[in-house]
Amino acid sequence: MDVAQVLEDVLEELVSIQKAVNKLTTASVSGQALRKRIKDTHKSWLPIAGALEAGNSVDPTQLQEVSDFWTELVKLANSVKPKKQYKALLKNIITKAESELLHKFIKNSAIQTIGDTLRKRVQPVTDPQLLKYLDESIRCAETNCVRAAVVLAWCAVAYVVQKKLTSLGIATLNAEFAMMKANKGLMFKAFNRDYVFSADPDVQEAADAHLILLCRFLTYLDDTQYKHLKAALDLRNGCGHPTGYQPDPVKLQAYYADITQLVLLNPKFI
Amino acid sequence: MLDKLKADFDRIIELVNKAPAPLQETAFKMILEQWFNANTVPKPEPPPKGAAAPADGGASAAPGVVPDGVKPFLTANAITTEILEKVFSPTGPGAQLLASTIPGKGKANKLVNLSLLLCVKQALESGNFTCTLKELRELAVHYDCYDSANFSANLKANKIYYKPREKGADLELIGPGLKKAGEIIKSIAAGE
Repeated sequence: MDVAQVLEDVLEELVSIQKAVNKLTTASVSGQALRKRIKDTHKSWLPIAGALEAGNSVDPTQLQEVSDFWTELVKLANSVKPKKQYKALLKNIITKAESELLHKFIKNSAIQTIGDTLRKRVQPVTDPQLLKYLDESIRCAETNCVRAAVVLAWCAVAYVVQKKLTSLGIATLNAEFAMMKANKGLMFKAFNRDYVFSADPDVQEAADAHLILLCRFLTYLDDTQYKHLKAALDLRNGCGHPTGYQPDPVKLQAYYADITQLVLLNPKFI
Repeated sequence: MLDKLKADFDRIIELVNKAPAPLQETAFKMILEQWFNANTVPKPEPPPKGAAAPADGGASAAPGVVPDGVKPFLTANAITTEILEKVFSPTGPGAQLLASTIPGKGKANKLVNLSLLLCVKQALESGNFTCTLKELRELAVHYDCYDSANFSANLKANKIYYKPREKGADLELIGPGLKKAGEIIKSIAAGE
């Protein structure tokens, strides 16, 4: 059963019933036909409730709440009851079923297939250690820990960036940072930090934002690429703390598309 | 291979005879199919990365390279690579929609525009202008243009854009849909 499709059909019918109830000029819903439509729609709802209950894509409490509203609605439809009661219940069912059940179900179904999409994207990465690390990020995504997936994937990016920069040699790297500081170009004039590294591991202490700016300075990235990588870093920073921000699987896919294209599979970094 | 088949044939017949009479023909076909799968020379591996892309609509085009199947659409709608790059990145397999918002007035209009863009995105991937409803729903939730009660009705109201289909089947663009998709791409690229 295509749960999303069937639930959409049920909601479509409920909205139509809601319109019919609103149109009534009487204070009560007395028409047999309308009451029968409610009962028939309830019959279509039952297998959906079963499917949602069997899976773990929605919050069981929310599902129970919608089911309880349904029970009340069907009870109302058994006899002539005031329109007001119908209106309240219909509104509750439609709103809850859409936002708490259907949207969550759709997001969860995206989570279920995200692993394949992301693995396909990182497949050309040749470093087995890096690939294994990225797989941990993907497994986080598969368990709906999207923020953890974002943070871990960024660590892989930072590793590649640091590796590339340290490959220049510490002396060159120090000199390039100094030159970037002296540069008064639009993109670099705000950079005023002094970095003096004495060994490769020191580079890990530098801010990622500065390291990717240096990548732009060294023309490993053009302006647009830098802008997108900076946006990826901003997303990582947004996910690195327990804030209210929760990226969805679509956002994660776009993030992975950017980091693979800009760094992980960019020949300038390999 | 023929010698091996001759050698194995009796054993195959023996196995088929163990199946109930009405199912023997099916069993024979299935076993024979499996035998051929196991004994024929495997198909050649796909060409290595960097080799010339096959002329199959560009399904296996290199990342960032526009598949051949999409080129007539781009030409017909006067969409340059520069325009395309403002909407999708990369402009080949692995393409992602860059737009942070979908153009259109209201959820219904946005949903239809999103479906057209997703068909182009899929074409950049495989050469086919198609889109699954699953992906459309996921992206519609993301772009806040998902109206569940009117999802099917909205697509139905714009059926001129899509190839006739069964309920729940994937969307596939036809002439007017391709034209409209071209217009949307150009309007996004122009920052409208």
